[in-house]
Amino acid sequence: LIILDTLIIGGLKFVLRRLAEAVDAEMNDVDVLRQELLAAQMQLELGEITEARFVEVEAALLARLREIRERQEAEAGAGGPMTITGIDVSIADDIEDDSSDRPR
Amino acid sequence: VSAARRRPRRTAAGAGEEPRFSFFAGKGGVGKTTCAAAAAVAAAETGRRIAVVSTDPAHSLGDALACTLGPAPRRVPTRAGVLEAIELDADRALARWLAQRRATLRAIAARGTYLDDEDLERLLRLSFPGVDELMALVELSRLADRGRYEAVVVDTAPTGHTLRLLQMPETMRRIAGALDDLSAKHRFLTDSLGGGHREDAADRLIQALDADGRRLAGLLRDPARARFTWLLLPERLSLDEARDGVGALVAAGIPVAEVVINRATPAAPGPCAHCEVRRAAEADVIAATRAAFPKIPLRVLPGLEREPSGLVALRRLGRRLAGDSPPDVAPHAGRVSRARRLPRKDLPPASWLDRVAPVGVRLVVFTGKGGVGKTTCAAATAVTLAAVRPQARVLALSVDPAHSLGDVLDTTLADTDGEVPGAPAGLRARELDADRAFAELRARYQDAVERTFAALLRGSRFDVAYDREALRGLMDLAPPGLDELFAVLTIVEVLLEQDPPADVVVLDTAPTGHALRLFQMPATALGWVHALLAILLKYRDVVGLGELAAELLASARRLRELTALLTDDARARVVVVTRPAELPDRETERLLDRLRRLRLAVPAVVVNAVTPEGCRRCIRLRRVEQRLVARLCRRRATRRQRWGIISTPALAPPPRGARALALWARTWKPE
Repeated sequence: LIILDTLIIGGLKFVLRRLAEAVDAEMNDVDVLRQELLAAQMQLELGEITEARFVEVEAALLARLREIRERQEAEAGAGGPMTITGIDVSIADDIEDDSSDRPR
Repeated sequence: VSAARRRPRRTAAGAGEEPRFSFFAGKGGVGKTTCAAAAAVAAAETGRRIAVVSTDPAHSLGDALACTLGPAPRRVPTRAGVLEAIELDADRALARWLAQRRATLRAIAARGTYLDDEDLERLLRLSFPGVDELMALVELSRLADRGRYEAVVVDTAPTGHTLRLLQMPETMRRIAGALDDLSAKHRFLTDSLGGGHREDAADRLIQALDADGRRLAGLLRDPARARFTWLLLPERLSLDEARDGVGALVAAGIPVAEVVINRATPAAPGPCAHCEVRRAAEADVIAATRAAFPKIPLRVLPGLEREPSGLVALRRLGRRLAGDSPPDVAPHAGRVSRARRLPRKDLPPASWLDRVAPVGVRLVVFTGKGGVGKTTCAAATAVTLAAVRPQARVLALSVDPAHSLGDVLDTTLADTDGEVPGAPAGLRARELDADRAFAELRARYQDAVERTFAALLRGSRFDVAYDREALRGLMDLAPPGLDELFAVLTIVEVLLEQDPPADVVVLDTAPTGHALRLFQMPATALGWVHALLAILLKYRDVVGLGELAAELLASARRLRELTALLTDDARARVVVVTRPAELPDRETERLLDRLRRLRLAVPAVVVNAVTPEGCRRCIRLRRVEQRLVARLCRRRATRRQRWGIISTPALAPPPRGARALALWARTWKPE
C-alpha cells in the first residue's frame, strides 16, 4: 500500500508542480514567445504549416517580442526593472505525518 | 512430392547437429566471393547439405555461381549433395523481423515511455540503412538452427563492415539490455502490486535477443564451429589491411584458421619486364605476410587468366583451396632487378581533371567494388588537384571504416586534417573515426538528450533509477549505419558550415554496397530528424523545446543542403572506379544504374590497372580487358549515358606516396 500512496502523492505533486511551472512560464513571456517561434519553425520543417502561415506567425511573435523589449527598456529608464523571481507553491509533503496529526 | 524426397539425405553424423560455419573475410576485391562459392561447391559435392550466404549488401555471389539469387535459399545444381545459396536483403529482413514483433515492441515502449502507438509507428516506419550487419547476424542465427545444414559458408562484406558484423552479437545483447531496462519498472510494479509478474511476450523477446547474441558470440569464438579464412592479394595495401583485420579478429578472441594469398602472378611464359617486376614485388609481400602471421597456415593461389565463374571453374578452384600444401607459385624475393616503370616527368599534365573536377566542383566521390583501386585513384586525383590549383584547399577524406588512404599516401593519418609528405601545400588528408565521433557527439548532447528523454520515460517523477538505466542503455547503442551517418556529418562539417575548412573534398568511400547506403543517408537521416521533431513537438508541454529542438532543426537544414549539393552536378561528382575483369564489370553496371536513379552526376568511369604490353600472357590478358572495356562502351551507348572512360596503367608495385601518385596520374588516359 505504501507504493500506492507514493503513486498518488507523487502524481499529485507532479500535477501541482507542472501547474506552478505553467504559471511561471506564462509570466515569463519572452521564453514562451521564443518557444512558440521554435515550435513554428519545427512545424514548418515538418510541413505541418505552409511557408506563408509561418511568415505570419513569425511576424506576430517578433512584434510581441519587440513590444516586450521596448516596455522593459522604458521601465528600466523609469525606475529599475521588475522581475519575477518565482512563485511559492507548497504541498503537504508526508502522508504519514498528515494522518498521525490530530486535528487541533 | 513427399517430404522425404524433397528433403536432402541426412548423414547419420549430420542429423540434428549444429552446422559449422566458414567465413571468408578480407579487403574488397581479393576474391572472397569466388573462394566462398568454390569452397561451398566443393563441400556440397562430398555429399553434404551446404548453405552459402553473402552478407555484403553489394552481392556478387550470383555472378560467381552464374545464377540469379535472392534472399530465399536457391538450390544450385551441384553433382552431389545439396547446395543452397542466399543473397541477404537486409532491408527486407529487418521489415520482416519488425513486422513479427511490432506488437511486442509496442508493449515494451508503452510500459517504459510516454510514447503512444502513433509515435512508435512513426519510429518503426523509419528506414535504417546501416542495419545490414545486424540483419546478417539474425540470418546467420536462423541458419545455425540444428539439422538444416551441415555447414554454412559465409561470403562477408569487405573488412570494415565485417568487423562491425562481428561486434553485432554484443550489440544484440545491448539492445536486449536496453529493452529489459524499459520493462524493469513494469515488472517491479506488477510484482509489488501483488500477484507477481508473469512472463509475457515482451520478456520472451528480450530473452530471445539476449540468447541469440550470446549464442552467436560463442559460435564465432569456437574454433570447432567457426572457421575464418583471411584472403589477401600479394600487394602492400592488402597486407596492411590483413594485419589490421586479423589483429582485430584475434583481439576479439576469434581465431583465423588460414591466410590465403590470392591471384599471385605466375611465372611469365617468356621474358617480360612487367611480370618480373610484379613477381618480385609480390614475393616481398608474400614473405612479409609469412612474417606477419607466423602461426597461421599460409596458402598462395596463382592468378587465373579468366576469373572463375560458373560451377566448372569453381570446382577447379575448390580443389586448389582444399588441396594440401599447394606448390608455392611465388619466386624468391630479391632476384629480379627492380626496374620500376615510373613515368617520366615531362609527360603532359593531367587532361582528365577538367572532366572529373572542373572549377566549382566541391565534392568528388570515388566509389566502386572493393579492391578496384578506389583509394589509389582518389589519392592520385587529390594530389593532382592540389598541384594544378595551388590556391585551393583540397582535403582527401576517407570514410571507409577500413581505411587505406594513409597507406596509399605513405603516411599516418588521423581524424584531423593532416599534412601529406611530398604533396603540394594545399593538400590535407583525414581518416574518419566514426566511433570516436559518435562518442564525442554523445558526450556533447548527453545532458540535453537525457533531460528530454527523462521526461518522456514513464514515471520519472517517482523513481529515476530505472529510467536513468534505460536511457543510458539506449544512448550507449551505436546507431545502425554509424559509419555512413558520420561520413555525412563530416562532409557537412568540412564543406557546408560557415568558413568551411576545405574548398574541395576528394572522398574515398567504402565499397559499393555501403557507399550506396552513404548516398541514401542524408534522406534517411532527415527522416530520423523529422520523427524526433514530431515527437518533441507533440510533447512540448511535458519536455519543453530546448537546445535539442534547435539542434535538430539545424541538422534538418544541413541535411537538405547536402542533398542539394550531392545532386548538383556543378558542385558534386561521383567517379566510378572499376577493374577490367568480369565480376567488377558486372557490379559496375549495377552501380551505374543505381547512381543514375539517385540522380548523382557521374563524369567518368576509371578503368584501373590495365595490363601493359609484355609477354604472351600479358597480351592475352590485355585482349580480355579490351573486350570488357568495349562492352562497357556498348552499354553506355545503349543506355545513353555520357560519362567518359579514363584508363590507368597497372604499376608494379602500385604507386605509394604523393610523388609516385602524381607521376602515375600523369599517365592516365582519357578517351
